[in-house]
Amino acid sequence: MEGVNVSTHPEIPAEPTQIGTALLEKATATIQGFDPVNKIHQHLCAFHFYGHDMTRQVEAHHFCGHLNGDFRQCLIYDRPDDDGQLIGVEYIVSEELFLTLPDDEKQFWHSHEFEVKSGVLFMPGVPGPVQRKEFEKVAKTYGKVIHFWQVDKGDNLPLGIPQVMMALTKDGQPYENLAQDVENRYNISFEEERENRACIKGPSHGIHPMANAAGKGLQTVLREVECCKEGKSTRVFV
Amino acid sequence: MAATNGTGAQIPPGKPMSVEQHMLDKGAQMLQSLKPIKHMNQHVCTFALYSHDMTRQIETHHYVTRVNQDFLQCAVFDADDPMAHLIGLEYIVSDRLFETLPPDEQKLWHTHAYEACTPSILSSNKRSSKRVNIIFYMMQIKSGLWVNPRVPEMVVRPELENLAKTYGKFWCTWQTDRGDKLPMGPPVLMMSPQGTGIGVVNPVLVQNRDDKYNISSDALKTARVEIAEPEWLNPQADYWKQHNDKGFAVEMETTEMKKRASFP
Repeated sequence: MEGVNVSTHPEIPAEPTQIGTALLEKATATIQGFDPVNKIHQHLCAFHFYGHDMTRQVEAHHFCGHLNGDFRQCLIYDRPDDDGQLIGVEYIVSEELFLTLPDDEKQFWHSHEFEVKSGVLFMPGVPGPVQRKEFEKVAKTYGKVIHFWQVDKGDNLPLGIPQVMMALTKDGQPYENLAQDVENRYNISFEEERENRACIKGPSHGIHPMANAAGKGLQTVLREVECCKEGKSTRVFV
Repeated sequence: MAATNGTGAQIPPGKPMSVEQHMLDKGAQMLQSLKPIKHMNQHVCTFALYSHDMTRQIETHHYVTRVNQDFLQCAVFDADDPMAHLIGLEYIVSDRLFETLPPDEQKLWHTHAYEACTPSILSSNKRSSKRVNIIFYMMQIKSGLWVNPRVPEMVVRPELENLAKTYGKFWCTWQTDRGDKLPMGPPVLMMSPQGTGIGVVNPVLVQNRDDKYNISSDALKTARVEIAEPEWLNPQADYWKQHNDKGFAVEMETTEMKKRASFP
């Protein structure tokens, strides 16, 4: 059963959809193909925090599809409802794929071992034993998350520049009230699930030291650049 | 069937899904409601350009959710088949909403008037080289850039009038056009096709797309002939036009993370 997310839920300022528009979209929804989107088969709930600020934590609802056994691509919404706001994307790769990344790319990616073993990453509506089968795999993966809409700030439109996000890696990081709210809403217990998942193992080679931004803060900045006309760009710092 | 780039390399690399994985997937799908995904009710095919290098141009497939009359949110893929790569997100706002944004925000957005409107707008373009223009104009007479595949043009025509007045903000997170097998680097800002200068889309890209969807030139010509262009386009949008072909890049800086517990 899914309830209302009590965290910030800014309203987008706007007119309700007009009838003509709604009718057209009934037509397009019926006639057109939606193959890439129809691959999305899973809903996972977890928390992200901003790469430069662990004190800002966001409940993140992932809607994921596999491109193959080693790779998932996910749309992230602030809530799993009909009017959920699309706030970001996450890519999830197996440990094998992660290890092929150059070191300076690895910093963008976070490990999933703690989220899985602590129980805070879960699949709403799916029985525990089925989830655990899935999480045996997920515990060894790494994710890259970008958010584009800072709903925790109360932004009612996707303002500003993209934010690289990180995931929880140890006890003491998540806010108790955020965790409690999710537990109440979904009628689950993270503690209980932690016990059930005790045997699940993380990456075979251990968590890579370059993952999770190598423990540093990561912040995005915007630069104005000379847009090239011949395939090379010259950066101008402003 | 795995998606491949021009050299045949599989993108992304990886093993096929196991039978067990398929079953877990199917199981989840049956038990979970996946509500937000069910609200994607339009597929749009158009083109976009990298704001830091507008010679790099891509065909995009937007899967659109209309939130209300003034706001749409789109998941953007690089193809329309089941193996398509999720390459970013685009947000679309009405002109009314756009005007409420501060100028520093507006510079990240692009206009849609050109993609949606008639070829007659092209006639005002004097800056592109003549030869490219002639070929492009001829091709443009045959098609609009923004299309809803499979939907008769007359059905979408009213929506194009709405769309022509909107502004978009499109961040790309996976540069499959340059062969990236996995999503690499920080996100990049994208711009929309325009009729002038570095905003002009390569006509070959457009022709390939039109051939793929068997787009009827006569139907499009008839249907789009009277779409009015907006009276005014905010000059902060399409930033490169009024700012000497400048674009934007997102870069990463290492900093002291504000913490409430040790990390990692």
